[in-house]
Amino acid sequence: MNLSFKQINALPFLTWNRLGVNQTSLAAELPEIKSYNGTPLNEKLPEGVTVSSQPLPGNMPETGMGAEAAAFVEANRSCGVSVRVPAGVKAAEPIVLTYRLDSKNPAVVDVNTVIAEENSEVTVVMSYASDEATAGFHGGCTRLIAGKNATIHLVQVQLLNDSCLHFDDVGAIAEENGIIDIMQAELGGSQAFAGCRAKLEGRCSSLNLETIYFGDRKRSIDINYVAEHIGKKTASEIHVNGALLDESRKTFRGTIDFVRGAKQAVGHESEYNLMFSPKVRNRTVPLILCAEEDVEGQHAASSGKIDDTKLFYLMSRGLDELAAKKLIIEAQFQPATDKIPVESLQNAISEYVKERLNTIEPVS
Amino acid sequence: MKTTGNKTYVEDIDRSVYDIKDKVDAAYQVAQGLTPEIVREISEAKNDPEWMREFRLKSLEIYNRLSLPNWGPSLEGLNMDNIVTYIRPNTAMRGNWKEVPDDIKNTFERLGIPEAERKSLAGVGAQYDSEVVYHNVREEVRRQGVIYTDMESALHDPVYGPMVKEHFMKLVPPEDHKFVALHGAVWSGGSFVYVPEGVQVEIPLQSYFRLNAPGAGQFEHTLIIVEKGASLHFIEGCSAPKYNVANLHAGCVELYVAENARLRYSTIENWSKNMYNLNTKRAVVEKGGTIEWVSGSFGSHVSYLYPMSILKGENSRMEFTGITFAGNGQSLDTGAKVVHAAPHTYSNINTKSISKDGGNCTYRSSVTVLPNANDCKSSVSCESLMLDDRSRSDTIPAMDIQNDNVDIGHEAKIGRISDEAIFYLMSRGISEDDAKAMIVTGFAEPIAKELPVEYAVEMNNLIKLEMEGSIG
Repeated sequence: MNLSFKQINALPFLTWNRLGVNQTSLAAELPEIKSYNGTPLNEKLPEGVTVSSQPLPGNMPETGMGAEAAAFVEANRSCGVSVRVPAGVKAAEPIVLTYRLDSKNPAVVDVNTVIAEENSEVTVVMSYASDEATAGFHGGCTRLIAGKNATIHLVQVQLLNDSCLHFDDVGAIAEENGIIDIMQAELGGSQAFAGCRAKLEGRCSSLNLETIYFGDRKRSIDINYVAEHIGKKTASEIHVNGALLDESRKTFRGTIDFVRGAKQAVGHESEYNLMFSPKVRNRTVPLILCAEEDVEGQHAASSGKIDDTKLFYLMSRGLDELAAKKLIIEAQFQPATDKIPVESLQNAISEYVKERLNTIEPVS
Repeated sequence: MKTTGNKTYVEDIDRSVYDIKDKVDAAYQVAQGLTPEIVREISEAKNDPEWMREFRLKSLEIYNRLSLPNWGPSLEGLNMDNIVTYIRPNTAMRGNWKEVPDDIKNTFERLGIPEAERKSLAGVGAQYDSEVVYHNVREEVRRQGVIYTDMESALHDPVYGPMVKEHFMKLVPPEDHKFVALHGAVWSGGSFVYVPEGVQVEIPLQSYFRLNAPGAGQFEHTLIIVEKGASLHFIEGCSAPKYNVANLHAGCVELYVAENARLRYSTIENWSKNMYNLNTKRAVVEKGGTIEWVSGSFGSHVSYLYPMSILKGENSRMEFTGITFAGNGQSLDTGAKVVHAAPHTYSNINTKSISKDGGNCTYRSSVTVLPNANDCKSSVSCESLMLDDRSRSDTIPAMDIQNDNVDIGHEAKIGRISDEAIFYLMSRGISEDDAKAMIVTGFAEPIAKELPVEYAVEMNNLIKLEMEGSIG
């Protein structure tokens, strides 16, 4: 089947069209989408939590990629879970969903909903990997609704091969004191798209969004995050770390939107990017929109090569240049990977990055 | 600490001196709107060379083809059918203020232009509506070989005419956007500056643009060429009285900075609040050259203003320092663009904005590093201050980096005057009102100090604070 998105990952406020960052489009030929063959869900589920494979009806929060992507996944859902955490339940174990794209499952379209009721807490981990050969497709959409004093941790790790197309879209709402805590790792695929829109509606609700990306060969990565501060004393922390190698390309859009009335809201956003090849293309568009006086918004971005003095220090301690570079990238990714509650997945990321970094050529 | 009481009232800019209207006494003006006939009429009235007439008509075609921007503040209130694009004042250009008609001279007197000329400028150009009414340059500067004249004289000059033809709208082609195409079709007035190789112009030149007629457009063209190793400081000022109909300013500034040359371009823009200020400014900088922009935006109803620097030669540099102050009814979309097109280039953008009383400030920028621009550095810092919750302040920067051997940094901050800072100052024995005044002045200070002295004083007057109780 054909996939055609005219406008996804759109900036909430447009800028010059010639920069090519206002939105992106996507057209691709997809493998046939069938029900997922296998059981992605881990056997041991946390007590007191309901997990169903049926979609939840009802009004769902807007997502970061926009209406076209959301409509597509609704129409082509092949799997996914609906998680409900009753009031007061704090799930001790994570809910782990492991998807693998191969000849049996070349296309995965998962639509998930996580509803955490008052005073509850839950962790959901999703990972997407593939075999070497499959030119697969993954399109996902996850909705998070954190009730009063509830916390949802979402971990999404993407390690697909270089011929897979991937998008992952998130829409979240947090009520009073609700916490949305997301870690996204966009490490593989031919083209990877990620979106997240979080509506911080309740007083003192917050968003923590920690992302790592890794671009090598000809990968293109396109990210759009929006933190909408509606309630008083809401807080958002969006921190993105990435590395670009070879001929990879990346566009990162991150918006902190202070709506009038979001008094004493605080939003921080940062992006740190390391570049390893003169052929990369690195685009960053960090927006702060503000219609409220009593707020604090900050953004910082830096982009460049690995700091020479850091490299020199490590090399003076006996590491060769390549080992030193690997160490620096791993250190950059560490705060994000530390959030993954599944050790095997942490190791998989570490192995993946190490193996990929072997392709970096030492500077002569 | 006292947090109740009246809000601090930050005064609007005192505009009374700018708002004095002269009776419109035009020698000649075209009808409202924009048609090929009007463009031909302007061309004829200005006695254009043939190439310029063709250029105008071609620009008009481009204007009709291009659409309005789909981003930025609303242009709904601007109807080109109601704009008079050419209006010639009832005087020829003079080189002596005494010969300028009284009402026009008085206007510039009130704005302090002749006085500034006597005191601190090397030359002055004064434009009134569509034409330049006064142009003069000090004898010692003239002797250095510096040319400072109006665009029309340069266009018809046997020596500088070909130079104008070679550079006119080559840096900012009419295809660039709709309003620059409009400029190409109906431009009139503006200044031409040529600084020969190695010449250092020690004191600034200034052009002042005054739009007096209601419902009119001003489309001046400024072309500056600074040759190898030369240096110049150019100041541009603009103002207009307030009318109830929309006025339009769509000027164009093209700056050519040659090898190891240096140009500082300062602007204080203080248009009235019925003005659509859709101005385009661009500089190209050759090897080792420097462009410095200092930009203060206080006036206009809507502004789209982003001076662009193309760092074409190795080791070329740009610095941009800007302040924007938006009050009631204003939507000021300002910022800067830079293209690093050569190795070892350097750019630094530093802006501040203040929004109050329902005003909208938008900071918009782009930093582009082309693939060959090895070892370049760019740093951007923008800070916004919100003085109440009826105002808006948006920050929309973009970076496009196509090379790994770079050092790119970006910082943005938004907020209000912090209670802690006030508390700290008060604990040192400073009154609450003084503390707040100090903080706002301090916020604007890094920009004010880049301005020429008389403008810094003017700016501090413009952002006059009247303290009464507390903010918040």
